[in-house]
Amino acid sequence: MLDISLQLIVNGISLGCAYALITLGFVLVINAIGAVNFAQGDFVMAGGFLTVILAEYVIADNFNAIRASGLIILPLVLIGMAFFGLLFSMIAYKPLKNRPPVTVFISTIAMGLIIQHSINAGFGPEPQIGPALISSGTITIGTLTISKQQISIILSASFLILCVGFLMNKTQLGRKLRAASQDSEMAETIGINGPQCISITFSVAIALAGAAGLLLSNQFFVTTSDGGLYMLKAYIAVTLGGWGRLDGAVIAALAIGLFEVIMATLVSYVVAEALLFAALLLVLLFRPSGLFAEAIQRRT
Amino acid sequence: MSSLYSRDFIVTLIIVLIPLCLALNADSYGQRIMTLSGIYAIAAMGYHLIFGRLGALSLAQGCFFGLGAYSAGLIGVHFELSFLTCLLFAVIFTALVALIIALPVLRLESHYFALATLGIAQVALLIAINWTEVTGGANGTYGIPQLDLFGMELSSSNHVLIFVWFILVIIVSLTFWIMRTPFNYQVTLLKDTPEVAASSGIDIGRWRLTFFIMSAIFGATAGALQAYTIGVVSPATLEFQVMVSILAMTVIGGKNHPAGAVIGAILLTHLPEWFRFLETHYLIAYGVALLCTIIITPSGIFGLFEKFIIKNPAYDLKILPSKENKSVSDASSTLLEIQGLSKTYGGIKALKNLNMTLQSYQIVGLVGPNGSGKSTLINIISGLQRQDEGTIKLDGSFIENTPSYKRSNRGIARTYQTSLRSSGLDVYQAILACSTNQHNLKHRDNQTHAILTNSRLTSKTGSMVGDLSAADARELDLCMALATEPKILLLDEPAAGLSSAEQQFLSTKIRQLAQSGISILIVDHSMDFLLPVVDRLICLDQGSVVAEGTPAEVLADPKALKLYFGNSRV
Repeated sequence: MLDISLQLIVNGISLGCAYALITLGFVLVINAIGAVNFAQGDFVMAGGFLTVILAEYVIADNFNAIRASGLIILPLVLIGMAFFGLLFSMIAYKPLKNRPPVTVFISTIAMGLIIQHSINAGFGPEPQIGPALISSGTITIGTLTISKQQISIILSASFLILCVGFLMNKTQLGRKLRAASQDSEMAETIGINGPQCISITFSVAIALAGAAGLLLSNQFFVTTSDGGLYMLKAYIAVTLGGWGRLDGAVIAALAIGLFEVIMATLVSYVVAEALLFAALLLVLLFRPSGLFAEAIQRRT
Repeated sequence: MSSLYSRDFIVTLIIVLIPLCLALNADSYGQRIMTLSGIYAIAAMGYHLIFGRLGALSLAQGCFFGLGAYSAGLIGVHFELSFLTCLLFAVIFTALVALIIALPVLRLESHYFALATLGIAQVALLIAINWTEVTGGANGTYGIPQLDLFGMELSSSNHVLIFVWFILVIIVSLTFWIMRTPFNYQVTLLKDTPEVAASSGIDIGRWRLTFFIMSAIFGATAGALQAYTIGVVSPATLEFQVMVSILAMTVIGGKNHPAGAVIGAILLTHLPEWFRFLETHYLIAYGVALLCTIIITPSGIFGLFEKFIIKNPAYDLKILPSKENKSVSDASSTLLEIQGLSKTYGGIKALKNLNMTLQSYQIVGLVGPNGSGKSTLINIISGLQRQDEGTIKLDGSFIENTPSYKRSNRGIARTYQTSLRSSGLDVYQAILACSTNQHNLKHRDNQTHAILTNSRLTSKTGSMVGDLSAADARELDLCMALATEPKILLLDEPAAGLSSAEQQFLSTKIRQLAQSGISILIVDHSMDFLLPVVDRLICLDQGSVVAEGTPAEVLADPKALKLYFGNSRV
């Protein structure tokens, strides 16, 4: 019994870690431009497809390898998705930067539609399966059996989260990014290139989404219609974690992953989803600033 | 200006009727597509109200559509009732659902509002898929009866088309009735500058609720029609795709006008026909069209049409017989009494136990260094911010917990330090929107003309507000404040950026207003402007009154002098 519950917790944390990557990217964009990126979930799905393409076609065909492992593909996916992030910010954000945030909401909804249905047109709606991170199989510690995939997801996601934390808090680039998010005009007056910072933020955010897509692609498959749900989870995590807070978002995403896995196993997936939304509505009703305080104070 | 309004209505009716007439001669397939256009136009009409006109990003319109389809469809399958009865049930049910969810979500900021409405839509979808006994689960429910009207089945595609578009005409008329002058201007003001709208006596909550419920009613009507025309209701009607389609129609057609919803719906339902090579992937085209519209022409196709083809006429100002002054009682009475007002931001005390009164017929100047609490005081009196402690008495009754718009209705008006300008209105419309204490359109019109005649804006009545110079915008702010017929007028730096001639005009105007009995509070840094015009001067520092009296008395007070002019003598 204890083993089963420990196994559940590991599963929950690994799903939560993937959610945390998605949410982290989501909240970085919110802080940078004050708008929600509705396409974030579709970029998770796109990252999954990029993984499948790289693993199945590019690497397998050219290097005669049987199937490349996820860990080797991860840097490629990060770079590829970062490039897509740049492109995305140029198309969906740059032309609208002086308009009200709600127009960016709409443009990202449009981009999400384009991404989802273009991939759907190319690959069809059938689920694709991505490679395992290192290898499938399990580790046995005493009486406890844990799959290697789960452990490697948790490790690689934690590594990426720490990287983002290091980037934002310890590097000069991170300081610039934060300054530009807080007050773009003010940052420009002290010599920070605001638009460039926003583009970089977009690439980091989309790269994180792509990484999450890779991590989820083996266990949960990749389906073109998945994007919306991933985006919703990130949106909920940001709300529960305190609008604009990176730490709160990561904690909330982990909690959502755990909650989902445990409830889905004990009761059913539908109940888990319904309870999650119910919890969200209750939080919005009674504590509209999230469980933790909001990071962004409204300026009057 | 009802002519402008009826012209709009006629243009919209033409846009509805031309495609309908063309479709009457089409084959039955073409007619079915046009029926679908009409259905989506109804749903988009509702979305145009909540999103286009009010700017609230609701993501529940697809959910309302689906709820309407399910409730009408299931009643139709299980009970032998006429379509109109089922429609009535569906509309009432959906409106009730909207009312229940409106209470918690309507006050949320836009990003939470979007999420909450999206969450509700997801819950509805989950219920539809999993409550199999009632909804039929993932396969949905088949065998919904055909449309009928007074006992007659509408079996030919021609009849169905006419019936759906007849309902569309009713919906269009209803929309225009809701948005009749001056409410159309008030809603625009509300969308662009909510603070100004609130301090002009416009109740944000009421409009949000009205439009949210209307969007639900229109969405449910469309959903019910959809279920009856195709005979099936399935979870697909609740999926996010429906929501995105309605959103794309509203934005591409033109979100600021009912005609836009109709144009968008016709275009996007026909788009898969025109781009057949896209097969089932036509949503790519929706996405591209939506993206291009929002980047190139955010007011959509109808917005372009309006910009290049429809020209707004200039207004001829009526010369009205000047109203004789009401019996002027010279006795100045206390209008506003503030006691023990305190406000803290984080650790900073912006106001400390402040006491103050404002008298009718009197002009009070409020001075003090930056951060002394002047703007906070004005914000609290007008209800934009709430005090931590203290009372505010207006005409003998306490108003410190009254919302901003009600304070405006009771006679408190204000201007803002930086003009907050509504871009979608011209000068005349902006002033008319603020005449919230007049209930008759003719009176509102006359009052607006009177205010404009006495302003510097007589030659700019038809200019768009966004095109005004900074000085003219300040004059407009004052005109809008006066349109609410205030007893107390709070002016936040009214002379900033004005030339000396314009300042002179303003001083004279302020004096005249005071002579008509209005109590005026002016915050300004320019002593040259302030000293000659005010009767009384209040000097604030760090949230407390340090000196008070006639300008001469305050200028003689060493504390005030030191504070305001430093140690050097004037």
